[in-house]
Amino acid sequence: MITDVFLFWFLAIVTLAAGITVVTVTNPIYSALALAMTMIGVSALFVTLGAYFLAGVQIIVYAGAVTVLFVMVVMLFDLKYEVVAFSRGKVSGALKLASGATLGGLLIGSIFLTVNGVTKAVSVGTSEKAGDTTKELSRLLFTKYVFGFEALGVLLLIIAVGAVALARSKGGTHAEH
Amino acid sequence: MGNSLTEIIINSIKLILVFLIMVQAVPVLVWLERRGSAFIQNRFGPNRIGPLGLMQLLADAVKFLFKEEFSPAKSVKFLYYAAPVVALVPATLAFAAIPLGAPVQWDQYVFHLQGYEISVGIVFVLAVSSLATYAILLAGWGSGNKYALLGALRASAQVISYELALGLSIVGVILLYGTFDFNEIIQAQQGPLILHWMGHEITFLSFLPNWGIFYQPLGMVIFFASAFAESNRLPFDLAEGEAELVAGFHVEYGGFKMLLFFIGEYGHMLVSSALIATFFLGGYTIPWVSMAELTQWVGTFIQTPNWISLVTGLITFAVMFAKIAVFLWIFIQVRWTLPRFRYDQLMDLGWKTMLPWALFNTILTATVIYFAHLG
Amino acid sequence: MPNIDSAVSSAAPNMVLLTDTIPVGIGLTHYLVLSAILFVLGMIGVLLRRNAIVMLMSIELMLNAVNLSFVAFSHFLGLIDGQIMVFFVMTIAAAEAAVGLAILVSIFKRYREVNIRFFEHLRG
Repeated sequence: MITDVFLFWFLAIVTLAAGITVVTVTNPIYSALALAMTMIGVSALFVTLGAYFLAGVQIIVYAGAVTVLFVMVVMLFDLKYEVVAFSRGKVSGALKLASGATLGGLLIGSIFLTVNGVTKAVSVGTSEKAGDTTKELSRLLFTKYVFGFEALGVLLLIIAVGAVALARSKGGTHAEH
Repeated sequence: MGNSLTEIIINSIKLILVFLIMVQAVPVLVWLERRGSAFIQNRFGPNRIGPLGLMQLLADAVKFLFKEEFSPAKSVKFLYYAAPVVALVPATLAFAAIPLGAPVQWDQYVFHLQGYEISVGIVFVLAVSSLATYAILLAGWGSGNKYALLGALRASAQVISYELALGLSIVGVILLYGTFDFNEIIQAQQGPLILHWMGHEITFLSFLPNWGIFYQPLGMVIFFASAFAESNRLPFDLAEGEAELVAGFHVEYGGFKMLLFFIGEYGHMLVSSALIATFFLGGYTIPWVSMAELTQWVGTFIQTPNWISLVTGLITFAVMFAKIAVFLWIFIQVRWTLPRFRYDQLMDLGWKTMLPWALFNTILTATVIYFAHLG
Repeated sequence: MPNIDSAVSSAAPNMVLLTDTIPVGIGLTHYLVLSAILFVLGMIGVLLRRNAIVMLMSIELMLNAVNLSFVAFSHFLGLIDGQIMVFFVMTIAAAEAAVGLAILVSIFKRYREVNIRFFEHLRG
């Protein structure tokens, strides 16, 4: 019990620190690396919540591919980092910050007001063994959510073709002359 | 980690020992590589220091430790120093998740011969292997050198391309054994080869052991080839090709930091060999012999059940390392035999050849399993 | 709020309320608050930063926060549908990041700038 508490607070602080680093640091490389750290932190939080398969997939997809893509794009652009991270204009900046803080306050307030009404469905239990969870996940994915699953496949095909078409340039080793 | 204090202590010692196994395998591997490559190229390798040149790497390590610690003037210091550490961590984490021997039952505790036991072993190993890209990118950017950056971008593009083929080739194995757990996959590969097809048992192939390579030959080939690309070994090492791009992304590294990169690369080789041994070669089980028979055979010499299971664990540990050693030798042989791929040939191979074949393997496996279970 | 507790527990005695499971320990509230803070951080990043790449990264941060709250609900409610939603969100977020970066690469090749104040006026 005490290890759960300690683990949660440690992971929460690491994830929050990494998240703050993403938003506030001027150098985009450090932002991207902090994003990777955030995703690893979120994956560790998934493990504490018992979603082992999702934690692995989170690292494979997010921290191992999406963030690598970000880092590679930043390195290819070779940006000189900006002098100041946030936009000029004190009033507009303060207004944006205030709106963000208001949203945060509203979200957290609404969480505290409504969380007592959340009840646990006693009949359906999540088993501890990860293999059973994955089997349950796949069963649901192929029966109840099969339309979304197939639509995701089509979406990924469109994305792959679209990304290649967008970023293609003339020339290269496979160009026809 | 365990409930009682003895369990926690022994598990901690086991963690440290598994880490040390990986670190200590590197000098042996380097010696094997230098003597093995010399044998292939018809020359002597290091043979001055120690018998058969075995102390050569000790001398090299001492030399590395005494080298000057510097960083290039235009480098980003934090990333430059962080990259070798980031190179070391994923290989270590992945190696600690692979079972190296049968579980040892001592009194009421069960100790698994691995660093930690995870029920989603395969997903975990794939996940931490995909984090190895960061070491390459950090090294390339942190060096402040255009050529290092180019080499790093090419190397990382290659690594993430072959990660796909790596993961997909394992999907066939997962479909076949129905689990992510390494221990269960190894347990399912014991004994002789008996095929089940529509309710019949086909036993004319019983002279072969029940290994995964006979169920998944195409998956084995694709996994084997992708493992080379993952650890940036020849024939896929254009990104760090000596005599072409100087040393690629680790051109600005010398001394002890270079050694850490080497440990990372050999660590990836070790993890890939251990994974091939686990998925396709039966892991720590002896071919044609099931674990029950082995325990019985050991029980004819030793009486107390604690020592029986300990000796069984040690025997299976030795068997696993024999299989890993065979594949490490194959890795080293291939490196000094085959020429290097050109970069566009490499990317074509990864995307246009391995990915479709891995997908085909998945579909074929699924179809065969469906028909085999119809009876 | 004692009225709600007694009302619900008398109406449906099988239901287990979260307030009486773990007095001091990590409950749903903790995960939801963490997810909310991450979400707001991401939103501040999108609103305040001028570098287009960092804006895309902040969007990824928001999506991660949402994933966290989905999985937290899935764990504390005992339903596994939350993890299915995480699948969908993860896939779409990765796809959107890829396309966003492809567009960004095209913009950079044309204008050599990723600071959004150069694109404030829609012309050309």
